[in-house]
Amino acid sequence: MSVMRAFAKRTLAGLLLSSLWAMPARAAEPACDAPAEALEAAPMAGVFAALAHTDLRILVVGSASTQGGGTSGPAATWPLRLQAVLAEKVRPVAVQLEVFGARGTTAADHARILAEQGPRVRPHLIIWQLGTVEAARGLPVEEMAEAVQGAVERLRAIRGERTDVVLMDPQFSRFLRGNADVESYRDWLRVAAAASGAQLFSRWAIMRHWVETDRIDLERAPRARRVAVADELHDCLAHALAEFILDGAQRGRRHRR
Amino acid sequence: MTSPPSVSPGRDIRVDFLRGLALWFIFITHTPGNLLAHATLRNVAFCDATEVFVLLAGYAAGIAYGRMLERDGWLTAGARIAGRMGTLYVAHIFLFVVFAAQVGFSAAALNQAAYLDELHLDPFGNEPYRALLEALLLRYQPHFLDILPLYIVVMGLFALALPLIRRPGWLLGLSIAMYAATRLSGFTLPSWTGGGWFFNPFAWQLLFAIGVVLGRADPVALARRFPWHRGLAVAAFLVLLASALALNLVWHGPGFGLYAPERLAAGLATVDKAGLHPARLASVLLLGWLVAHLIPRQAGWLRHPVPAAFVLMGQQGLPVFCSGIFLSFLGRLALDQQSGALAQVAVNLVGLAALYLVGLVSAWYGGEGKRKAKPVLPVAAEAARP
Repeated sequence: MSVMRAFAKRTLAGLLLSSLWAMPARAAEPACDAPAEALEAAPMAGVFAALAHTDLRILVVGSASTQGGGTSGPAATWPLRLQAVLAEKVRPVAVQLEVFGARGTTAADHARILAEQGPRVRPHLIIWQLGTVEAARGLPVEEMAEAVQGAVERLRAIRGERTDVVLMDPQFSRFLRGNADVESYRDWLRVAAAASGAQLFSRWAIMRHWVETDRIDLERAPRARRVAVADELHDCLAHALAEFILDGAQRGRRHRR
Repeated sequence: MTSPPSVSPGRDIRVDFLRGLALWFIFITHTPGNLLAHATLRNVAFCDATEVFVLLAGYAAGIAYGRMLERDGWLTAGARIAGRMGTLYVAHIFLFVVFAAQVGFSAAALNQAAYLDELHLDPFGNEPYRALLEALLLRYQPHFLDILPLYIVVMGLFALALPLIRRPGWLLGLSIAMYAATRLSGFTLPSWTGGGWFFNPFAWQLLFAIGVVLGRADPVALARRFPWHRGLAVAAFLVLLASALALNLVWHGPGFGLYAPERLAAGLATVDKAGLHPARLASVLLLGWLVAHLIPRQAGWLRHPVPAAFVLMGQQGLPVFCSGIFLSFLGRLALDQQSGALAQVAVNLVGLAALYLVGLVSAWYGGEGKRKAKPVLPVAAEAARP
């Protein structure tokens, strides 16, 4: 029975993938009018392979925004929203998502978490949000990049190409931009991603676009609307990230052929 | 930066021009959100305006204090350098206070609390008294306030090594030895927030020392030592071009579906700024060599009004530098409020005009041959203008 069900699931997943394949490069309007170029991903072989089976395991590691970030509650944060949005899009594949993060944690802390949890969770996709704490505290950029390179290398040694790694840069904020050298940290995240075979989802660029187009601007939201705007922001980020991931999966297929 | 008391006939105004340009770039890159920042040196080379600034500061210091050493001896010249360090220190603390005020203002004006939980980690917000103490000890250097502390320590090293400027080989040898030892051991000055100084002075002193030696050298002998060679120039140009392409491929390639080979990116990831990686050093020296040969010493265009404005700014290094940092705080506040094209143009035009005015006032006020106290407070200098 369960064999049958698994078989049916697989067939459905296969159908889903072929529909993914048939999809135009960009599905109609990008999520929340995010800039299209920020949603273009490199091939994600791990996610692609997972979608051909029964479940997609995602491990999220990061600092404060994974834990609340001013939203109405954990269910409204981008990681859990991502799980819900993705589950909808890749049904019947089950999306399992585990979040390991804490306010004020650095890339080095995250690397330790990945070393512990990576072998246990065996994720197909790691979403690693980092850079804000480093930038706010002025920690050395090179050490941040080294932490990323080391952690991804160790993962590759265990998981090979079965795990895709997506780095996520800081949230756009005028305050952070004005008081920290964010550009340097973003440059180094790009270098670290390129050097380790990971890729970067530029939350900064997407959120800056939303601010510049008056779409979502948490820093200017009136006090009474703050939580609602934070919820909207996280939901939109989740949609954008889901598109990014599915774009990567689609390319992952082409990559394999 | 340390401009000689009077403009000597043999003064190389190309150096002043480049220093003026570097000061302008520093203003631009210290105003985050400024779109002009995409047009500065850091986007196309390993090095940025900081390297140019430090190299040319060494150049000017070599000329000014070298003369003083010959005329008045080590003790007097050393004391003058110590006085200069004091001025730099006071300027740094002044800018620190402006910084703290600006952060407080921005934090109140923007809903940062809801946005970035992590900014509660901002050391000044958490422990203001401790932060103040650490700032006085130069152990706390907020972003964009890291050049003057470097300059202060490098000047201190320069005061100690001053007599060696008569023996450039020894000076360079010792400087290279210190650079190598620093890079190998990772030794640096501690910082309160973790990690070492943003610019490790024991590594960066090499660039300053090279500047000192170049400033002291006879231009004719220098040109003979490093002559123009077309093949070499083409090679240098290609190396610089290749590094610009590699950097931009890694930074911006993914946006266009272009991915750099992992090895290339891994190589770039080793080029650190804190310890002045050899690639950064080579990049600024190659650029310097090319520019020195491509711009003739007596280039007529340097006397046209616009380049001449940069020459003037370069000649009044310290006041213009400090004003640049000060103005960048105001620029940030402006760009926090408005981000449109108008705000960008306004910030850049007002910023550049103010830098030029500060240079003008400072030249008029301090340019009577005798070294009077140069204005430390840029605002005061600006306000002093009728």
